[in-house]
Amino acid sequence: MAARTLLLTLANLLIPVAILVFATGFFPYKPFMPGLAEYDNLGWEDGMGWSNKSVADAPFDRLVFMVVDALRSDFVYSEGSGMTFVQSLIREGYALPFTAHATSPTITMPRVKAITTGSIPSFLDVILNFAESDTTSTLATQDTWLAQLKAKENGKLVMYGDDTWLKLFPDFFERADGTSSFFVSDFTEVDNNVTRHVPDELLNNDWNAMIMHYLGLDHIGHKAGPKSPNMLPKQKEMDDIVRDIYSAIENEDHLQNTLFVLCGDHGMNEGGNHGGSAPGETSPALVFMSPKLTKVTHAMEKKSPVVPKAGTEFEYYRMVEQSDVAPTLAGLMGVPVPKNNLGVFIEEFLGFWDDGRDRIQLLLRNARQVKSIVEATYPSLDFGDVVTQDHKKECDSPSTGQQLACKWQGVVDVMSTRTKIEISSRVGQLYKFMKAAQETMSSTASNYDVPRLVLGASLAVISVFLTLFTLPAFTPMSPQGLFYTLILVLYSILMFASSYVEEEHNFWYWATSAWLFYLFISASRKEWTANFILHPAIMVLVLHRIIRRWNQTGQKFAGADDIVHSPLFHGSYSIVLWTMIGSAYVDVTNRLSRHVARSIAAFEGLSGVALGAPDDEFDPNRLMAFIAVLPLGVTAFLFKLAFTALDAPELTGGINQDLLNWVASLGLVGIARMVFGGIALSAFWISVAEWKRAQGRRKNVDGNGDLAVALFDLLTLFLLTQTKAQNIPLYLLFRLQFFFLSTLNLDPTSLTTTTLLLTQTSFFALGNSNAISSIDLSTSYNGISGYNVTLVGILLFASNWAGPLYFTAAGTLLLGSHGGANSTRRHIDTSELDDRDWVREERAHLERLARQENIVAERKKDSGRAWSDHVSLMTLWTGVSVASVMVACAVLRQHLFIWTVFSPKFLFAMAWGIGFHFVGTIALGGLLWKVGRW
Amino acid sequence: MSTTVIGGAPPKPRPPPTPISHLPTDSARLYTHIHPLLLLSLYTYQFPSIVADPVAGLAATLVPLAALQIAYVAVCLPPTGNGTGSGAGNGPASGGAGGEKRKIGEKKKANGSAGKSDGIGGRIIPAVLSVLLSLLVAAPLLTAALVLFGAPITTHHAHTLLCGAHIAFLAAIPLVYVHGVDGAAWRDAVALLLPVDEVYGGLLGAVCGAWLGAVPIPLDWDREWQKWPVTIVTGAYIGYVFGRLLGGTMLKGKKVMF
Repeated sequence: MAARTLLLTLANLLIPVAILVFATGFFPYKPFMPGLAEYDNLGWEDGMGWSNKSVADAPFDRLVFMVVDALRSDFVYSEGSGMTFVQSLIREGYALPFTAHATSPTITMPRVKAITTGSIPSFLDVILNFAESDTTSTLATQDTWLAQLKAKENGKLVMYGDDTWLKLFPDFFERADGTSSFFVSDFTEVDNNVTRHVPDELLNNDWNAMIMHYLGLDHIGHKAGPKSPNMLPKQKEMDDIVRDIYSAIENEDHLQNTLFVLCGDHGMNEGGNHGGSAPGETSPALVFMSPKLTKVTHAMEKKSPVVPKAGTEFEYYRMVEQSDVAPTLAGLMGVPVPKNNLGVFIEEFLGFWDDGRDRIQLLLRNARQVKSIVEATYPSLDFGDVVTQDHKKECDSPSTGQQLACKWQGVVDVMSTRTKIEISSRVGQLYKFMKAAQETMSSTASNYDVPRLVLGASLAVISVFLTLFTLPAFTPMSPQGLFYTLILVLYSILMFASSYVEEEHNFWYWATSAWLFYLFISASRKEWTANFILHPAIMVLVLHRIIRRWNQTGQKFAGADDIVHSPLFHGSYSIVLWTMIGSAYVDVTNRLSRHVARSIAAFEGLSGVALGAPDDEFDPNRLMAFIAVLPLGVTAFLFKLAFTALDAPELTGGINQDLLNWVASLGLVGIARMVFGGIALSAFWISVAEWKRAQGRRKNVDGNGDLAVALFDLLTLFLLTQTKAQNIPLYLLFRLQFFFLSTLNLDPTSLTTTTLLLTQTSFFALGNSNAISSIDLSTSYNGISGYNVTLVGILLFASNWAGPLYFTAAGTLLLGSHGGANSTRRHIDTSELDDRDWVREERAHLERLARQENIVAERKKDSGRAWSDHVSLMTLWTGVSVASVMVACAVLRQHLFIWTVFSPKFLFAMAWGIGFHFVGTIALGGLLWKVGRW
Repeated sequence: MSTTVIGGAPPKPRPPPTPISHLPTDSARLYTHIHPLLLLSLYTYQFPSIVADPVAGLAATLVPLAALQIAYVAVCLPPTGNGTGSGAGNGPASGGAGGEKRKIGEKKKANGSAGKSDGIGGRIIPAVLSVLLSLLVAAPLLTAALVLFGAPITTHHAHTLLCGAHIAFLAAIPLVYVHGVDGAAWRDAVALLLPVDEVYGGLLGAVCGAWLGAVPIPLDWDREWQKWPVTIVTGAYIGYVFGRLLGGTMLKGKKVMF
C-alpha cells in the first residue's frame, strides 16, 4: 500500500514537471536585449561621406496613434465601409493605406507588443495576456518606440483607452485614462471615455505622442459579429474621430508636423471572435495620415474604396508585417529603432528623403539592428563588415543561418564598393537582407528547444507507466475497464488530428452516449425494467442529448443552431430562461436549508434524534433554516440578474424594467462579495456543526457524508455565480443526471469512467472549446474592484471549468454513496404495481433493496481503496492526455496548424493537467471524500 | 420509479437461448454467402446517388434492400417457432405477444409439418411480416436511438428516419424472422444475452458500425460523403456484413460476457 501511494504521488508530481519542461521548450522564453537603443556607428564613412553619428532629418515630431480594436482591413477599405473620410484622404494622397499582417495569437496584448517593440511575441504571451500584471510581460524595461519617444527631449506621452497599455507601460504616461472591458455589451461608454479627452489633448502641446485605443468595435464583434447592425454606425463614429483629429492637424500650428496612424491590433473572424490565424483575424488595417504625405504619394496610384487582391479575402493594398510599424515610426519620428525589432522600414516612406545617402543610412541602421539579433541567434557565423571571399557559395547553403550570413555579405559588398553605383541597388540589397532575416527569425521552427520537448514528453510517459503499476487489478478485464482503456487510446490518436482537436467535444459526446447506453445494457442484464424507456441510464442519456445541444462549440459547425441562441431565451421570451434560472437557485437554496436545519439541530444537542425526520413531517428547524439561507439565495439570484442586465441585456428582455433599474443601482462588486461571503460563512457554519455531530458519534460508526453533500451544494451555488445566465439551466439538468446516476448503484470503475466522461462533456457543453477565443473572461472579475492576478485567475478557472468542477465533486459523492437517491429510495409507490404480481414484486423489490444496501455497505468497507483507485485512474487519464498532446505537438511542430490548433490545445492540456487535475480531482475531490467519512 | 423483476424469478424456467443456424439446404448454404456480397454491391451501386441526395437515394435503396433481406431470410433462416429457433413458442407469455406472433407460429408449424417441399413459398409471408414489423416498430425505435445518440432533431427528419429504416432492415428483419415477437428474446437481444450467431452478429455489427460511422463526420476533409447520414448508413452496412460473417463462423455460439 505504501509503495502504491509513493508511486502514485511520484506520478502525480511528474505531471506538472513534464508540462513545465515541455512548455519551456515549446514556448521558449525569448531573451530580449535590455536597454534603449542608441544611434551607433554606421560604418563606411569614407565611401558614403557621412559622419558616424549623422542622422537623417525626421519629417515628423509628433505622433497620434489611434488603435481601433479588431479593425479588420475591410472595415476601412471596402465598398461598404463607414469610414468614408479616411477613404477620401486615401484618394487625395493624404493617407497611405496598408494591410498589416498580424501573426497568431491574434489577441490584444501580443499584438500591442508587436506593434511597439517590432518583435514577434511568443505564444507565451497568450498566458501572460490573462495574467497581465506579470512583470515579465510588461514592456517597462524593453525598448519600444514609446520608450524612445519618451526619452527624447521634452518627450511626454499621453494615453486614453484600453488599459492593456497602462499595464504594459507602467508609469510611462503623463496623462492617462484607462478603460477596461468588463462588459462586452458596452458599445458606447468605453469609446466615449476615450473620445471625451481628445479635444483637450489636441489643444495641449506638451506631448509628443498620444495613444488612443478604442474597444467598442471589438465588443460589437464579440457580441454580434462583423455583420452586426451596430458595426456601420461604429465605423462612422471612428471616422468622425479621425476627421476631428485630422482637421486639427491641418489647422493647429503646433500639430503641423504630426503623423497620425490609424490601425487595428487584429481583425475578427466571421463569428466576431479572434485569437487564431484565419485571414480575417490576421488582417487588420493600417493607415498613415498627414498632409505632408503628398510628398511620397504624389507618384502613386490613389484609389479607394478598392477590392481585395485576387484570391484573398482581406488583403487590401500592400501587405506589410505588423512589426514593420516600429522601425517605420522610428524612422519617421527620428528615434533609434527599438533593440528587439524584427520589422523592416516600410519602403513607401523612403520618398521623404531626397538624398539617397539619407535613405541608405536609415535602412542601414535598421539592418544593423536586425543583424545584431541574427548574430545573437547564430553566434558561430560571420556577420562582420569585411567581405570574405567565399560568401557566394554560402548562398546555396541549406542552412538558413548561412543564407542570412551570405545576404549580409551582399550588403557589405555593395556598401564597400567604392565605385559609383546606383542607390537603388544598395537599397535593394539592404531590403533583401532584412526581409530574409525577418522571415527566418519570425518563423517558428528555429524557436523550439527540441531536447526539452523530448524530455517533457518522456517525463509524461514515465508518469503514465508509474501510474500503470498503481491501477486496480487488470485481470479479469471488466467491460468498464475496457471502455476506459478504449477512451484513452482513442483520445491519444485523436490528438494528432487537427480537426478532432478542434471538434474534441464530438468525441466526448459520442463516447458518453455509448457509455450511458452501455450502462443501460449492463443494468438490463441483471434485471429488466418493464418500462425501459424510463430506465435511469436512458434518462441520463436523454439529458445528455439535451445538454450537448445547449451550446454549439468547435470550428466546423460554428454558428449552428443551439438552445442558447434559440428564440426561446431571447427578447420577451427571456422569462422562460429566468424561470429556469430561478428554479436552479430555488433548488440550491432548498438543499442548503436542509443542511442548515441539520446544523441547528446539531447545536441544539438533538443530534441523532431529530436527524432522521423524513421530509414530509413538519420540522421547525427546517423553516428556520430556510429563512436563514433565503437571503443568500436571493442575493445570488439578484447578482445574476444585475450582472446579466449589464453583460447580456438581450437576455433580460421580458424582465420588468423597474426591477432591472433597481437591481442595477446595487453595486455589482458589493453583491458579488456578499454572495461569496455568504457561501464562505455557510461553509464554516455547517462544517462546525457537522464536526460537532461527528464528535458525538460512536467511534466505530462511519459518517453519512452530510457535510460532503453540503459542501457540494455550496460549490454549486459558487459555480452558478461563475456561470453565464444562459448556461445556468444546465445545472438543473446536471443535477438530474446526478440523481439518476445515483440510482444506478455503479461500481467504482464505472463511476470513475462516468466522472471522466461527464467532466469532459460538461466542459464543452458550457460552450468551451480548444480555441483561445472561447475562453470566457466576463465572470472573472466578480467581486473584484482592482486587478488581482491570483483572484482573477481563480475566478477565470472556476468560470471556464465550472462544469468539470461540478462533476468531479458529484463523482466523488457518488463514489462515497452520498447525496443521491439512496436515502429516499424506500418510499415506493405501491399503487403503481399490478395487483396480481404485487406480492412477488414487493418481495423482489425488498430483495433488491437489501442487495443494494449490501453493495453500499461493502463499498463503505473498502472505501479507502475506492478513492485511491479513483485517483490512480484519473491520474492515468491526465498523464495519457497530457503525454499525447505533448507528443502530438512535438511530432507535428512543423505542421501548418501548429500555432492555431495544437498550441492552444497544449495550453488547455496545461490547464486540465495542472489546474483541473490538482485543484479539481485531487484537492476538491479529496476534501469531499475526506469529510464524507466524518 | 417502479421496476418489475422478470429475469430474477421467472414463473416458468425458460430453456437457454441457442444460436441460430441457417437451414440445412444447399440453397441456404450457398445464398448465405452470396447475400452479403449482394448487399454490398447494392449499396456500392447506390452510393453516388445517396451522396448526391440522401433522402431520395436512401428511399430508393430501401425497396431492393427489403427484397434482398426477404430473399435471405426466406431461403436461409428458420422462421420463428421452428425447432431450430430460440424456442420462441415456449417462452413466458409476455403480454405484448399478440395474435400476430401466434399466426406466424401456426403457419410455420403447418408448413413445417407439411414437409420441405413448399418451404420457400410458405416462408415468404413471415418474411414480409418481418419487414412490416421492422418498418413499423424497429425503424422508429432505432430513429429515436439515433436522435438520442446525437442525430439532428430539428432538421433532417427524413434523413434520420431513413437511416433508422436502413439499420432496421439490415439488423432487425432477420431477428424478427427467427425470434418473432417473443418479448424475452428481444429483451435478451437488448441485454446482449443472446448467443452470437449469423443473425444476432449482424445486428451487433450493424449497430456498432453505425456508431463508428459517426467518426469521420467532424474531420475537415470537406467531402460530400461526410454529410448526414451517409457515413452512419455506410458504417451500418459494413458492420452488418462483418458481424454476420464473424457471428456465423468464428464467434458462433459465444455469448457476450460482462
